[in-house]
Amino acid sequence: MQDNYLAKWLNDELSEEELAKFKSSEEYASYKKLKGVSASLKAPDFDVEIALNELQTKRSQQSPKVIALNPYKKFLRIAAAIVILITGSYLYLNFSNTSYSSELAENTEVVLPDNSEVILNADSKVTFNEKNWDTNRKVNLRGEAFFKVAKGKKFTVETTQGSVSVLGTQFNVENRDGFFEVNCYEGLVQVEYKNIKKQLPAGTSFLVLDGKVLDVEESSALEPSWTRSESSFEGIPLKFVFKELERQFDISVNTENVDTNLLFTGTFSNTDLKMALKSIATPSRIKFKNEGDNVLFYAENTNQ
Amino acid sequence: MSNVCEDQVYSSIFRANSKTLFNFIYYKFGNEEKAHDAVQEAFVKLWENCSKVEPKKAKSYLYTVANNMYLNVLKAEKVRLKYAQTPKEHSNESPEFLLEEKEYKKKLDNALNSLPENQRTTFLLNRIDGKKYAEIAEMEGVSVKAIEKRMHLALKSLREKIDGI
Repeated sequence: MQDNYLAKWLNDELSEEELAKFKSSEEYASYKKLKGVSASLKAPDFDVEIALNELQTKRSQQSPKVIALNPYKKFLRIAAAIVILITGSYLYLNFSNTSYSSELAENTEVVLPDNSEVILNADSKVTFNEKNWDTNRKVNLRGEAFFKVAKGKKFTVETTQGSVSVLGTQFNVENRDGFFEVNCYEGLVQVEYKNIKKQLPAGTSFLVLDGKVLDVEESSALEPSWTRSESSFEGIPLKFVFKELERQFDISVNTENVDTNLLFTGTFSNTDLKMALKSIATPSRIKFKNEGDNVLFYAENTNQ
Repeated sequence: MSNVCEDQVYSSIFRANSKTLFNFIYYKFGNEEKAHDAVQEAFVKLWENCSKVEPKKAKSYLYTVANNMYLNVLKAEKVRLKYAQTPKEHSNESPEFLLEEKEYKKKLDNALNSLPENQRTTFLLNRIDGKKYAEIAEMEGVSVKAIEKRMHLALKSLREKIDGI
Protein backbone atom coordinates (compact mmCIF):
# COMPACT_ATOMS: atom_id res chain seq x y z
CA MET A 1 0.00 0.00 0.00
CA GLN A 2 1.29 3.43 -0.87
CA ASP A 3 1.44 6.37 1.53
CA ASN A 4 -1.80 8.12 2.28
CA TYR A 5 -3.74 5.37 0.53
CA LEU A 6 -6.95 6.49 2.23
CA ALA A 7 -6.67 9.88 0.56
CA LYS A 8 -5.90 8.22 -2.77
CA TRP A 9 -8.86 5.89 -2.38
CA LEU A 10 -11.20 8.79 -1.67
CA ASN A 11 -9.92 10.41 -4.83
CA ASP A 12 -10.19 7.15 -6.85
CA GLU A 13 -6.47 7.04 -7.40
CA LEU A 14 -5.74 3.55 -6.13
CA SER A 15 -4.60 0.91 -8.62
CA GLU A 16 -6.91 -2.06 -9.10
CA GLU A 17 -4.58 -4.28 -7.13
CA GLU A 18 -4.45 -1.88 -4.24
CA LEU A 19 -8.17 -1.34 -4.35
CA ALA A 20 -8.81 -5.08 -4.25
CA LYS A 21 -6.48 -5.42 -1.30
CA PHE A 22 -8.12 -2.53 0.51
CA LYS A 23 -11.60 -3.90 -0.18
CA SER A 24 -10.62 -7.18 1.39
CA SER A 25 -9.49 -5.52 4.62
CA GLU A 26 -11.89 -5.63 7.55
CA GLU A 27 -12.08 -1.85 8.05
CA TYR A 28 -13.11 -1.23 4.44
CA ALA A 29 -16.81 -1.31 5.28
CA SER A 30 -16.33 1.43 7.88
CA TYR A 31 -14.46 3.65 5.46
CA LYS A 32 -17.04 3.11 2.79
CA LYS A 33 -19.78 4.19 5.10
CA LEU A 34 -17.77 7.22 6.20
CA LYS A 35 -17.29 8.20 2.59
CA GLY A 36 -20.99 7.91 1.85
CA VAL A 37 -22.31 9.70 4.90
CA SER A 38 -19.74 12.51 4.83
CA ALA A 39 -20.81 13.31 1.26
CA SER A 40 -24.23 14.20 2.57
CA LEU A 41 -22.91 16.70 5.12
CA LYS A 42 -23.68 20.34 4.65
CA ALA A 43 -22.16 23.58 5.82
CA PRO A 44 -24.31 26.35 7.30
CA ASP A 45 -26.24 28.44 4.81
CA PHE A 46 -24.39 31.33 3.33
CA ASP A 47 -26.25 33.71 1.06
CA VAL A 48 -23.69 35.16 -1.27
CA GLU A 49 -25.90 38.02 -2.52
CA ILE A 50 -26.88 39.15 0.97
CA ALA A 51 -23.24 39.07 2.05
CA LEU A 52 -22.21 41.02 -1.04
CA ASN A 53 -24.88 43.65 -0.32
CA GLU A 54 -23.72 43.93 3.23
CA LEU A 55 -20.17 44.39 2.04
CA GLN A 56 -21.14 47.09 -0.44
CA THR A 57 -23.05 49.06 2.20
CA LYS A 58 -20.06 48.78 4.46
CA ARG A 59 -17.85 49.99 1.65
CA SER A 60 -20.02 52.99 0.81
CA GLN A 61 -20.06 53.97 4.46
CA GLN A 62 -16.33 53.76 4.62
CA SER A 63 -15.46 55.25 1.30
CA PRO A 64 -14.16 57.52 0.14
CA LYS A 65 -11.16 56.49 2.06
CA VAL A 66 -10.09 59.55 4.02
CA ILE A 67 -6.49 60.10 4.82
CA ALA A 68 -6.25 62.73 7.49
CA LEU A 69 -3.49 65.05 6.49
CA ASN A 70 -3.79 67.08 9.65
CA PRO A 71 -2.24 70.25 8.27
CA TYR A 72 -2.57 71.88 11.68
CA LYS A 73 -0.11 69.40 13.16
CA LYS A 74 2.41 70.17 10.48
CA PHE A 75 1.97 73.88 11.11
CA LEU A 76 2.51 73.32 14.82
CA ARG A 77 5.73 71.50 14.14
CA ILE A 78 7.10 74.37 12.10
CA ALA A 79 5.86 76.90 14.66
CA ALA A 80 7.56 74.99 17.46
CA ALA A 81 10.82 74.92 15.52
CA ILE A 82 10.64 78.67 14.92
CA VAL A 83 9.90 79.39 18.57
CA ILE A 84 12.85 77.29 19.68
CA LEU A 85 15.09 79.02 17.18
CA ILE A 86 14.02 82.51 18.25
CA THR A 87 14.26 81.78 21.97
CA GLY A 88 17.57 80.07 21.48
CA SER A 89 19.12 82.94 19.58
CA TYR A 90 17.65 85.50 22.01
CA LEU A 91 19.17 83.68 24.96
CA TYR A 92 22.41 83.24 23.06
CA LEU A 93 22.71 86.93 22.21
CA ASN A 94 21.66 88.02 25.69
CA PHE A 95 23.63 85.78 27.87
CA SER A 96 26.57 84.69 25.85
CA ASN A 97 29.71 86.53 26.61
CA THR A 98 32.27 87.83 24.21
CA SER A 99 35.78 86.83 25.03
CA TYR A 100 39.24 87.55 23.69
CA SER A 101 42.37 85.77 24.68
CA SER A 102 46.05 85.81 23.93
CA GLU A 103 48.26 82.77 23.56
CA LEU A 104 51.64 82.25 25.11
CA ALA A 105 54.31 84.60 23.75
CA GLU A 106 51.72 86.91 22.22
CA ASN A 107 49.88 90.16 23.00
CA THR A 108 46.37 90.97 21.85
CA GLU A 109 44.68 94.32 21.60
CA VAL A 110 40.94 94.50 22.20
CA VAL A 111 38.68 97.49 21.63
CA LEU A 112 35.62 97.36 23.86
CA PRO A 113 32.20 98.60 22.66
CA ASP A 114 32.74 102.06 24.23
CA ASN A 115 36.18 102.41 22.61
CA SER A 116 37.99 101.53 25.82
CA GLU A 117 41.14 99.65 24.98
CA VAL A 118 42.44 96.48 26.52
CA ILE A 119 45.88 95.11 25.75
CA LEU A 120 46.25 91.50 26.80
CA ASN A 121 49.67 90.28 27.89
CA ALA A 122 50.69 86.70 27.07
CA ASP A 123 48.34 83.86 28.08
CA SER A 124 45.48 86.08 29.24
CA LYS A 125 41.78 86.34 28.62
CA VAL A 126 39.04 88.94 29.01
CA THR A 127 35.35 88.15 28.92
CA PHE A 128 32.52 90.64 28.79
CA ASN A 129 28.88 90.90 27.84
CA GLU A 130 28.53 93.02 24.72
CA LYS A 131 24.73 93.25 24.98
CA ASN A 132 24.66 94.86 28.40
CA TRP A 133 27.81 96.88 27.92
CA ASP A 134 26.07 100.28 28.01
CA THR A 135 24.59 99.70 31.46
CA ASN A 136 27.23 97.48 32.92
CA ARG A 137 30.86 98.04 32.02
CA LYS A 138 32.33 94.91 33.49
CA VAL A 139 35.05 92.56 32.25
CA ASN A 140 36.38 89.36 33.69
CA LEU A 141 40.12 88.99 33.53
CA ARG A 142 42.38 86.01 33.70
CA GLY A 143 46.05 86.83 33.36
CA GLU A 144 47.34 90.33 32.80
CA ALA A 145 45.98 93.28 30.88
CA PHE A 146 46.44 97.01 30.49
CA PHE A 147 43.25 99.02 30.35
CA LYS A 148 42.69 102.45 28.81
CA VAL A 149 39.15 103.12 29.93
CA ALA A 150 37.03 105.69 28.12
CA LYS A 151 35.20 108.16 30.38
CA GLY A 152 31.75 107.04 31.41
CA LYS A 153 30.03 104.96 33.99
CA LYS A 154 31.84 102.76 36.45
CA PHE A 155 34.15 100.29 34.78
CA THR A 156 34.89 97.11 36.68
CA VAL A 157 37.53 94.45 36.18
CA GLU A 158 36.64 91.25 37.99
CA THR A 159 39.35 88.75 38.75
CA THR A 160 39.46 85.61 40.82
CA GLN A 161 41.44 87.47 43.48
CA GLY A 162 39.88 90.93 43.62
CA SER A 163 38.06 93.52 41.63
CA VAL A 164 39.13 96.91 40.28
CA SER A 165 36.68 99.65 39.46
CA VAL A 166 37.27 103.02 37.82
CA LEU A 167 35.50 105.84 36.08
CA GLY A 168 37.90 106.56 33.27
CA THR A 169 41.60 106.03 33.42
CA GLN A 170 44.53 103.86 32.44
CA PHE A 171 45.63 101.00 34.59
CA ASN A 172 47.19 97.56 34.51
CA VAL A 173 45.84 94.50 36.25
CA GLU A 174 47.86 91.35 36.68
CA ASN A 175 46.09 88.29 38.03
CA ARG A 176 48.38 85.25 38.11
CA ASP A 177 48.84 82.37 40.50
CA GLY A 178 49.77 83.90 43.84
CA PHE A 179 50.29 87.26 42.21
CA PHE A 180 47.83 90.13 42.00
CA GLU A 181 48.99 93.57 40.94
CA VAL A 182 47.20 96.72 39.91
CA ASN A 183 49.10 99.73 38.53
CA CYS A 184 47.30 102.99 37.97
CA TYR A 185 48.76 105.21 35.23
CA GLU A 186 46.10 107.91 34.95
CA GLY A 187 43.09 109.05 37.02
CA LEU A 188 41.99 107.06 40.02
CA VAL A 189 41.17 103.41 40.48
CA GLN A 190 39.63 101.58 43.38
CA VAL A 191 40.90 98.12 44.25
CA GLU A 192 38.93 95.65 46.35
CA TYR A 193 40.96 92.76 47.62
CA LYS A 194 39.28 90.57 50.19
CA ASN A 195 38.28 93.11 52.86
CA ILE A 196 40.69 95.77 51.69
CA LYS A 197 39.41 98.72 49.67
CA LYS A 198 42.15 100.97 48.38
CA GLN A 199 42.12 103.96 46.07
CA LEU A 200 45.08 104.22 43.77
CA PRO A 201 45.94 107.61 42.29
CA ALA A 202 48.08 107.83 39.16
CA GLY A 203 51.57 106.45 39.57
CA THR A 204 50.74 104.07 42.41
CA SER A 205 50.40 100.30 42.53
CA PHE A 206 48.75 97.63 44.59
CA LEU A 207 50.61 94.34 44.90
CA VAL A 208 49.68 91.05 46.57
CA LEU A 209 52.20 88.21 46.61
CA ASP A 210 51.05 84.85 47.94
CA GLY A 211 48.24 86.54 49.82
CA LYS A 212 50.42 89.28 51.37
CA VAL A 213 49.74 92.91 50.50
CA LEU A 214 53.01 94.71 49.83
CA ASP A 215 53.95 98.38 49.63
CA VAL A 216 55.23 99.50 46.28
CA GLU A 217 57.11 102.66 45.44
CA GLU A 218 55.48 105.20 43.18
CA SER A 219 56.49 105.12 39.55
CA SER A 220 56.33 107.74 36.87
CA ALA A 221 55.73 105.33 33.99
CA LEU A 222 52.84 106.18 31.69
CA GLU A 223 52.04 102.61 30.76
CA PRO A 224 53.21 99.14 31.75
CA SER A 225 56.58 98.16 30.37
CA TRP A 226 55.22 95.00 28.71
CA THR A 227 53.26 97.10 26.22
CA ARG A 228 56.69 98.12 24.95
CA SER A 229 57.77 94.44 24.89
CA GLU A 230 59.64 94.56 28.15
CA SER A 231 58.90 92.99 31.49
CA SER A 232 59.85 95.05 34.52
CA PHE A 233 60.05 93.98 38.13
CA GLU A 234 60.57 95.84 41.37
CA GLY A 235 61.53 93.54 44.21
CA ILE A 236 59.60 90.56 42.91
CA PRO A 237 60.58 86.98 43.89
CA LEU A 238 62.39 85.14 41.13
CA LYS A 239 59.71 82.46 40.82
CA PHE A 240 57.25 85.05 39.47
CA VAL A 241 59.92 86.40 37.16
CA PHE A 242 60.52 82.89 35.77
CA LYS A 243 56.77 82.40 35.33
CA GLU A 244 56.60 85.61 33.33
CA LEU A 245 59.60 84.50 31.28
CA GLU A 246 57.84 81.23 30.47
CA ARG A 247 54.75 83.10 29.31
CA GLN A 248 56.58 85.63 27.22
CA PHE A 249 58.69 83.12 25.30
CA ASP A 250 56.52 79.98 25.60
CA ILE A 251 59.35 78.03 27.14
CA SER A 252 59.74 75.96 30.25
CA VAL A 253 62.05 77.11 33.02
CA ASN A 254 63.76 74.82 35.50
CA THR A 255 66.05 75.70 38.35
CA GLU A 256 68.86 73.99 40.21
CA ASN A 257 70.25 75.25 43.52
CA VAL A 258 68.52 78.58 42.97
CA ASP A 259 66.54 80.30 45.72
CA THR A 260 63.41 81.32 43.79
CA ASN A 261 62.27 83.57 46.62
CA LEU A 262 65.18 85.89 46.01
CA LEU A 263 63.87 89.29 45.05
CA PHE A 264 64.55 90.58 41.58
CA THR A 265 64.56 94.13 40.38
CA GLY A 266 65.09 94.73 36.72
CA THR A 267 63.75 94.43 33.22
CA PHE A 268 63.95 91.80 30.51
CA SER A 269 63.18 91.93 26.85
CA ASN A 270 60.09 90.08 25.65
CA THR A 271 61.51 89.62 22.16
CA ASP A 272 65.13 88.55 22.60
CA LEU A 273 65.44 85.42 24.74
CA LYS A 274 69.24 85.54 24.99
CA MET A 275 69.12 89.11 26.24
CA ALA A 276 66.29 88.32 28.60
CA LEU A 277 68.12 85.35 30.12
CA LYS A 278 71.24 87.48 30.64
CA SER A 279 69.13 90.26 32.16
CA ILE A 280 67.85 87.88 34.78
CA ALA A 281 70.93 85.76 35.41
CA THR A 282 73.61 88.44 35.68
CA PRO A 283 72.11 90.58 38.49
CA SER A 284 70.99 87.44 40.33
CA ARG A 285 74.45 85.90 39.97
CA ILE A 286 73.21 82.65 38.55
CA LYS A 287 74.03 80.80 35.36
CA PHE A 288 71.73 79.50 32.68
CA LYS A 289 71.65 76.90 29.96
CA ASN A 290 69.31 77.15 27.03
CA GLU A 291 68.40 74.10 24.97
CA GLY A 292 65.49 74.51 22.61
CA ASP A 293 62.38 75.32 24.62
CA ASN A 294 64.03 74.47 27.93
CA VAL A 295 65.96 76.85 30.11
CA LEU A 296 67.86 75.81 33.18
CA PHE A 297 68.96 78.35 35.77
CA TYR A 298 71.59 77.02 38.12
CA ALA A 299 73.89 78.32 40.78
CA GLU A 300 77.69 78.04 40.56
CA ASN A 301 79.36 75.97 43.19
CA THR A 302 79.65 78.51 46.02
CA ASN A 303 82.13 76.53 48.06
CA GLN A 304 85.18 77.95 46.35
CA MET B 1 -6.50 44.77 -18.20
CA SER B 2 -9.21 44.18 -15.66
CA ASN B 3 -8.71 45.59 -12.22
CA VAL B 4 -10.00 44.42 -8.85
CA CYS B 5 -11.02 48.02 -8.18
CA GLU B 6 -13.68 47.76 -10.87
CA ASP B 7 -17.02 46.96 -9.31
CA GLN B 8 -17.84 44.19 -11.76
CA VAL B 9 -14.56 42.38 -11.31
CA TYR B 10 -14.78 42.75 -7.56
CA SER B 11 -18.34 41.43 -7.40
CA SER B 12 -17.52 38.44 -9.55
CA ILE B 13 -14.56 37.60 -7.29
CA PHE B 14 -16.92 37.80 -4.35
CA ARG B 15 -19.52 35.54 -5.96
CA ALA B 16 -16.89 33.00 -6.92
CA ASN B 17 -15.09 32.80 -3.61
CA SER B 18 -17.14 33.99 -0.66
CA LYS B 19 -19.06 30.79 -0.02
CA THR B 20 -15.99 28.58 0.07
CA LEU B 21 -14.07 31.15 2.06
CA PHE B 22 -16.91 31.17 4.56
CA ASN B 23 -16.88 27.37 4.79
CA PHE B 24 -13.11 27.33 5.04
CA ILE B 25 -13.17 29.55 8.14
CA TYR B 26 -16.15 27.74 9.54
CA TYR B 27 -14.52 24.33 9.27
CA LYS B 28 -11.46 25.68 11.00
CA PHE B 29 -13.13 27.37 13.92
CA GLY B 30 -16.72 26.20 14.01
CA ASN B 31 -18.19 29.65 14.54
CA GLU B 32 -20.70 30.76 11.96
CA GLU B 33 -20.83 34.39 13.02
CA LYS B 34 -17.08 34.80 13.02
CA ALA B 35 -16.77 33.05 9.69
CA HIS B 36 -19.23 35.59 8.35
CA ASP B 37 -17.20 38.48 9.76
CA ALA B 38 -14.01 36.99 8.40
CA VAL B 39 -15.43 36.93 4.90
CA GLN B 40 -16.49 40.57 5.21
CA GLU B 41 -13.17 41.66 6.58
CA ALA B 42 -11.13 39.76 4.04
CA PHE B 43 -13.09 41.39 1.21
CA VAL B 44 -12.82 44.85 2.76
CA LYS B 45 -9.06 44.34 2.89
CA LEU B 46 -9.09 43.25 -0.73
CA TRP B 47 -11.00 46.42 -1.65
CA GLU B 48 -8.58 48.62 0.23
CA ASN B 49 -5.70 47.03 -1.66
CA CYS B 50 -7.55 46.52 -4.93
CA SER B 51 -4.96 48.43 -6.94
CA LYS B 52 -2.14 46.27 -5.62
CA VAL B 53 -3.72 42.83 -6.01
CA GLU B 54 -4.03 41.29 -9.45
CA PRO B 55 -7.36 39.54 -10.17
CA LYS B 56 -5.47 36.25 -10.58
CA LYS B 57 -3.96 36.58 -7.14
CA ALA B 58 -7.16 37.76 -5.44
CA LYS B 59 -8.21 34.28 -4.32
CA SER B 60 -5.01 33.37 -2.51
CA TYR B 61 -4.89 36.90 -1.12
CA LEU B 62 -8.32 36.39 0.44
CA TYR B 63 -7.39 33.07 2.02
CA THR B 64 -4.16 34.47 3.39
CA VAL B 65 -5.94 37.45 4.95
CA ALA B 66 -8.76 35.36 6.40
CA ASN B 67 -6.35 32.83 7.78
CA ASN B 68 -4.15 35.41 9.45
CA MET B 69 -7.09 37.29 10.86
CA TYR B 70 -8.64 34.43 12.78
CA LEU B 71 -5.66 32.21 13.31
CA ASN B 72 -4.74 33.64 16.67
CA VAL B 73 -8.14 34.89 17.77
CA LEU B 74 -10.01 31.66 17.45
CA LYS B 75 -7.43 29.01 17.98
CA ALA B 76 -8.17 28.88 21.69
CA GLU B 77 -11.91 28.62 21.31
CA LYS B 78 -13.56 25.25 21.49
CA VAL B 79 -14.90 24.08 18.18
CA ARG B 80 -18.57 23.23 18.03
CA LEU B 81 -19.54 22.45 14.52
CA LYS B 82 -23.02 21.59 13.50
CA TYR B 83 -23.65 20.31 10.05
CA ALA B 84 -27.01 20.89 8.53
CA GLN B 85 -28.75 17.59 8.15
CA THR B 86 -29.48 16.55 4.65
CA PRO B 87 -33.21 16.21 4.32
CA LYS B 88 -34.14 12.68 3.51
CA GLU B 89 -35.55 12.42 0.06
CA HIS B 90 -36.76 8.91 0.48
CA SER B 91 -38.54 7.96 3.61
CA ASN B 92 -39.07 4.38 2.69
CA GLU B 93 -36.31 3.40 5.10
CA SER B 94 -37.12 1.44 8.16
CA PRO B 95 -37.28 3.37 11.47
CA GLU B 96 -34.40 1.24 12.75
CA PHE B 97 -32.27 2.27 9.83
CA LEU B 98 -33.16 5.95 10.32
CA LEU B 99 -32.32 5.77 14.00
CA GLU B 100 -29.04 4.07 13.19
CA GLU B 101 -28.27 6.72 10.62
CA LYS B 102 -29.00 9.47 13.15
CA GLU B 103 -26.73 7.81 15.70
CA TYR B 104 -23.99 7.52 13.12
CA LYS B 105 -24.17 11.21 12.20
CA LYS B 106 -23.94 12.18 15.85
CA LYS B 107 -20.81 10.05 16.19
CA LEU B 108 -19.40 11.60 13.04
CA ASP B 109 -20.08 15.13 14.33
CA ASN B 110 -18.27 14.34 17.56
CA ALA B 111 -15.39 12.74 15.72
CA LEU B 112 -15.07 15.76 13.41
CA ASN B 113 -15.05 18.15 16.35
CA SER B 114 -12.17 16.32 17.92
CA LEU B 115 -10.03 16.38 14.76
CA PRO B 116 -7.12 18.79 14.48
CA GLU B 117 -8.27 21.94 12.71
CA ASN B 118 -6.19 21.39 9.55
CA GLN B 119 -7.36 17.79 9.07
CA ARG B 120 -11.00 18.76 9.58
CA THR B 121 -10.75 21.65 7.14
CA THR B 122 -9.19 19.47 4.47
CA PHE B 123 -11.70 16.67 4.96
CA LEU B 124 -14.76 18.92 4.87
CA LEU B 125 -13.56 21.05 1.96
CA ASN B 126 -13.29 17.86 0.00
CA ARG B 127 -16.46 16.15 1.22
CA ILE B 128 -18.81 19.13 1.39
CA ASP B 129 -17.40 21.58 -1.16
CA GLY B 130 -15.98 18.91 -3.47
CA LYS B 131 -12.64 20.68 -3.63
CA LYS B 132 -9.73 18.85 -5.22
CA TYR B 133 -6.61 18.29 -3.13
CA ALA B 134 -4.68 20.74 -5.30
CA GLU B 135 -7.23 23.46 -4.63
CA ILE B 136 -7.19 22.86 -0.88
CA ALA B 137 -3.40 22.95 -0.97
CA GLU B 138 -3.56 26.41 -2.57
CA MET B 139 -6.02 27.68 0.04
CA GLU B 140 -3.94 26.44 2.93
CA GLY B 141 -0.68 27.43 1.32
CA VAL B 142 0.85 23.95 1.61
CA SER B 143 1.78 21.15 -0.81
CA VAL B 144 -0.67 18.63 -2.29
CA LYS B 145 1.31 15.90 -0.57
CA ALA B 146 0.62 17.53 2.79
CA ILE B 147 -3.09 17.70 2.02
CA GLU B 148 -3.11 14.00 1.11
CA LYS B 149 -1.44 13.25 4.38
CA ARG B 150 -4.01 15.29 6.28
CA MET B 151 -6.80 13.55 4.44
CA HIS B 152 -5.39 10.13 5.17
CA LEU B 153 -4.99 10.93 8.88
CA ALA B 154 -8.45 12.50 9.03
CA LEU B 155 -10.10 9.37 7.56
CA LYS B 156 -8.08 7.12 9.80
CA SER B 157 -8.91 8.88 13.06
CA LEU B 158 -12.54 9.46 12.09
CA ARG B 159 -13.01 5.76 11.53
CA GLU B 160 -11.25 4.89 14.74
CA LYS B 161 -13.41 7.30 16.70
CA ILE B 162 -16.66 6.14 15.11
CA ASP B 163 -15.87 2.44 15.44
CA GLY B 164 -14.73 3.07 18.97
CA ILE B 165 -11.21 1.71 18.51
